[in-house]
Amino acid sequence: MSKPTDLVQGTLDLLILKTVALEPMHGWAIAHRIHQMSSEVLQVGQSALYPALHKLEQQGWIEAEWKISETNRRAKYYSLTPAGRKALTAEAANWERLSGAISAIVRTG
Amino acid sequence: MSRWFTQLRLTLRSIFRKDRIDQELDEELQEHLQREIEEGLKTGLALEEARYAALRAMGAIAKSKEDSRDARRVNFIDDFFRDLQYATRSMRRSPGFAALAVLIMALGIGANTAVFSVVNAVLLRPLSYRDPDRIVTLSTRVIAGSADSGQSSLDEQISIPNFQDWHDQSSFFEAMAYYNGREIPATAGALAEYVRGTQVGPEFFQVFDVEPILGHFFTADEMKQGSDGSAMISYAYWQSHLGGDTHALGQVIHIYGRPFPIAGVLPPGFGFPDKTDLWVPARVSPDDQKYRTAQNWLAVGRLKSGVPLEKAQAEMSSIAGRLEQRYPESDKDRTVGVTRMQDQMVGNVRVTLYLLLGAVGAVLLIACANTATLLLGKATARTREVAVRAALGASRRRIVRQLVTESLLLAFVAGAAGLLLSYWGSAALVALAPSGLPRLTEVGIDRWVLTFTLGISLTTSLLFGLVPALYASKVDLNEALKQAGARSVIAGGMVRMRGLLVVAEIALAVVLLSGAGLLIKSFIALHNVALGYQPENVLVMRATVPVPMQAQAATGFFQDLLAKIAHLPGVVSAGATMAPPGNVESSSAIFVDRLPPEKDWLVAPTAALSVVAPGTFAALGIPVKRGRDFNDDDVPDRPPVAVVNEALVRKLLPGQNPIGKTVFCLFDNFKGMTIVGVVGDVRQRGPALEPMPECYMTYRQHGFNGNTLSVVARTVGDPNTLIATLRRLAQETSPDVPMKFTTMDATLSENVAAPRFRTLLFGIFAGLAVCLAMAGVYGVMAFAVTQRSNEIGLRMALGASTGSVLRLVLRQALICASLGLALGLAAAIAGTRLLTSMLFEVQPNDPWVYLAVGILLGLVTLVASYVPARRAATIDPLTALRQE
Repeated sequence: MSKPTDLVQGTLDLLILKTVALEPMHGWAIAHRIHQMSSEVLQVGQSALYPALHKLEQQGWIEAEWKISETNRRAKYYSLTPAGRKALTAEAANWERLSGAISAIVRTG
Repeated sequence: MSRWFTQLRLTLRSIFRKDRIDQELDEELQEHLQREIEEGLKTGLALEEARYAALRAMGAIAKSKEDSRDARRVNFIDDFFRDLQYATRSMRRSPGFAALAVLIMALGIGANTAVFSVVNAVLLRPLSYRDPDRIVTLSTRVIAGSADSGQSSLDEQISIPNFQDWHDQSSFFEAMAYYNGREIPATAGALAEYVRGTQVGPEFFQVFDVEPILGHFFTADEMKQGSDGSAMISYAYWQSHLGGDTHALGQVIHIYGRPFPIAGVLPPGFGFPDKTDLWVPARVSPDDQKYRTAQNWLAVGRLKSGVPLEKAQAEMSSIAGRLEQRYPESDKDRTVGVTRMQDQMVGNVRVTLYLLLGAVGAVLLIACANTATLLLGKATARTREVAVRAALGASRRRIVRQLVTESLLLAFVAGAAGLLLSYWGSAALVALAPSGLPRLTEVGIDRWVLTFTLGISLTTSLLFGLVPALYASKVDLNEALKQAGARSVIAGGMVRMRGLLVVAEIALAVVLLSGAGLLIKSFIALHNVALGYQPENVLVMRATVPVPMQAQAATGFFQDLLAKIAHLPGVVSAGATMAPPGNVESSSAIFVDRLPPEKDWLVAPTAALSVVAPGTFAALGIPVKRGRDFNDDDVPDRPPVAVVNEALVRKLLPGQNPIGKTVFCLFDNFKGMTIVGVVGDVRQRGPALEPMPECYMTYRQHGFNGNTLSVVARTVGDPNTLIATLRRLAQETSPDVPMKFTTMDATLSENVAAPRFRTLLFGIFAGLAVCLAMAGVYGVMAFAVTQRSNEIGLRMALGASTGSVLRLVLRQALICASLGLALGLAAAIAGTRLLTSMLFEVQPNDPWVYLAVGILLGLVTLVASYVPARRAATIDPLTALRQE
C-alpha cells in the first residue's frame, strides 16, 4: 500500500482546493482542469484523485453534492466550504514560501 | 464547531450507510471512466480502443476504491469491529482465563464505583436547593490561640442578640435566619410520637428560596413572640400522617400538648435541618433574648447574587470585631464564621471518604497489576500466533491495537459486572455508614457514577493491557517461529516484568494493610477504654411529657414511673437522666463559692450539666466516690444540691474536700448548689474524648427540660425484654407520652459508628489487596516454575536435592516480597500520617503494626509460593528433560 509522498499529497490537496474554489466541479473535470491549467504538465490519475477528494471531504474542506452534469448524467460535484477557503489561503501561502525557498536554492546552484 | 459536526456526520454515514457509500464511489468512478472514453472517442478512437485506453489510464480501480475508503476512515472502524470479533472469540476460547480476569477487575471496578457513588452523593453533588452555592451557615468561632479556644463543643452555636446585629448590619445577604431543631413530641390524631421539629426565625424559608406547595408560610402575626403560632409540615409527613389530603390545612398538630394548626406543606425533598417534619415559629426565651453568651441557636443565610463568600466573610468579621469591642464580656475572642453549607455539612467526613477512595483506588491498581500479569502469561503463550501475524505483514501498531482491543473488551465486561456489584456494594456501604454521614439517602447510580465507571474501565484497560501488548508485539520473528513449544525467547523479559508487577502489588498491599492495622489497633484501644460507666444490660427509654417545660406534672410522671420500675422483677436499679453518656446536652461556665459578675463568665472553666433522678448512678454503674447520691428528699423547697465528678474536683477544688462547697452554673436558675457527693468520671462525649468536668443536678429541683428524660434501667438479662412492660407502664401513667427505646450498648455502638465504618472498610480493602497480591505471587511463581522446568530437571538430574529446589523457588518469591515490603513500608510510613486525626491512642508510626504487617506479608508470600515450589521439587527430571 504505497502512498504518494507528503509533498505530492499536500500539493495535490492544494491544487484540488484551488480548482474547486472557482466553481463546483466533478472529479473528472477537476483532473482535466488541473491538466489544462498546468499547460498539460500535471497529470492527475484517478488513483490519487479520488482518495484525495474523499479525504478533503472527510476533513470538511470540501463538500459534495450529486447533480446532473452538462452531459445529462448524474455526477458528484465538489465545492469549497468556508473552512476549505481558509485552508486554501494557508496552504497557498505555505506553498509560495516553500517553492520560493526551493527556487532560491536551485537558482544559486 | 460545524466542521467537527460535518466530520462526525460523514464518519457515521461511512459506518452505517456503507453500501450506499460504496455504490456512490462506484458510480463516481464509472462516471470518470465514461468521461475518459468520451475523450478518447473525441480524438477519433474506436469505442473498444477508447475503452481500453481509458482503463489503462485509470490504473487499478480496486486500489483506488480501497484508498478512498481509507480516506473516509472506514477501514479503521472496520478493523475495530474485526478486532472486537476476534477478541470475543479468543475470550470464549479460554473461558477460565477470561472469567478470572473479569472477576478480578469487576471486584476492583465495583468497589471503586460503590465508594465513588457515596463520595459523589455526599461530597460532589450540589445540594438540592435553588442556588446552593449562595446558602451559607453562620457560626460563632472562638479565635484560635485565645485563652478559651476549643473548650466547648457548643461554640458553633450563636446567640440571638449577636444574630440581630449581624442581620441588621450586614449588606451582602438576601436573607438570614436563626433556627434550632430537636426531637419533639408531636401528636397528629391519636398517635403520640417523636418527630424532628425545628423552630425557625423570620426569613428562614427565604434562605432556601422554597415555596409551599400548599398553604402559606407563617404570617407576621404568627411569627410574633407570644402568639399561638402555626406549623409548616414536610411533604413526607403530609403523606404519611395526613394521607396527602389537601384539607390538611388548618388541622391541628399537638406539640408539647399545645395546638398548632397546619399553615402549609413544603415541597418534596425539603427537610432542612436533619429531615425536619415540622417547622414552627421560633419562641425565644427572655434569657436568650438578653444574653450574648446564650449560644443556643444556629444560623443560615443566603448571599445576594454574585457576592463571593470571601466578601461576605470579610464584612461579617468586621461586624464581629465591632461587637467584640462593644461587648467584651461576652464577645471577647469571638468572631463569625461564614461557611458554604455544603462544606459545613461534609466537613468531618471529607477526609475519611477521600481516604477510602484512595484505599479502594489502590485495590484497583493491584487488580490491574494482577490482570496484567495474567495477560503477560497469556501473551507468552501467544508468541507464535503473534509471530505468524507479524510474518504475514501485520505492523507492530496493528498487533498492539488488536491486543489492546482485547483488554478493552475485558475491561468493559468487567465494568458492567462491576456496576452490578457496586449496586449491592453501595447499598451495603449505606447500611454500614454512621448515621452522622450526611445525604446518605441520595446515594445511587447517576450519570456521574456511570461516567466514573466508564472512565476507570477505559483507564484500567490501558493500564493492564498496554504493557503486555507492547511486550508481545516486540516478538523476534525468527526466533519465535523457530521455537517448537509454547516457551519463547521473550520469556526472560516477561518474568522480570511480572516480578516487578508483583513487587508493586505487594507494596500497595503493605500500604493498605498498614493503614488498616493502625485503624484496627486504634479501634481496639477505643473499645478497651475505661468509659467510667457500665453499658451492658441497660435499657434507655426516652420519654417526653407533653406539657410546657417547667411544669410539675412532668416530674410527677417520671417519679411515678420510676417507683413502678424499681419494683419490676429483673430490674436491678433504675434512674432517669437528661443526657445518657455519649452526648452532652448542655454545658456552661461553672463557679465555686460565689457567682461572679457577667464579664467573668466567659473565662471560667466549662462543665457538662446533667439533670438526673435518684438511682441513676447505680443504674448506669457510675461509682459514688464520696458523699451520697441524690434522694427523694431533694425536693424544690429543700436547699439545692449537686453531685460533681472527680474531673470537676481536680479542676476547681484540687486538694480540698468538695463536700459542702457551693457551686454555681448558668442553667435554668443561677442559684448556688451544695455539693453532696462526688462520682467517678464518665466519658460523656463518646469513648474517644477525655471526661470533662460535670455537674449533676436533681430533676425535682430543676424544671428545665424536665419534661424530657431518658429512663435508664439496669436489668439482669437482656434489657430489650423489658420494653413492652415499660411501654405499658408509661401509657398507664399518661397515654399521650411519646417514647423511644434503645440500650446503652446501642448508644455506645452508635458513638463509635464512624471509626467502625472506616476501620471495617479499610480492613476489607486491605484483605482484598492481600488476596489479590497473594494470587499475583502464586501466578508469577507458577509461571516461573513452568518456564524453568527444564533447568530444574537438569539440576535434579545432576543431584540437586528436593530441599534445594524448594529453596531456589522460594528464594525468588521472597526477593519479590522483601522488595515489595521495603517499598510498601516506606510508602506506608509516609502515607499513614494522613490517618493521624482518626487514630485513638495509636501513633501513625507504631512499630508493632508495621512489624505485624511485615510478618503477615512474609507468611502470605511463603504460602502463595509454596504450592508452585512444591511442584518444582517434584518435577521428574526424565520427563522435564525429554520435553526439550
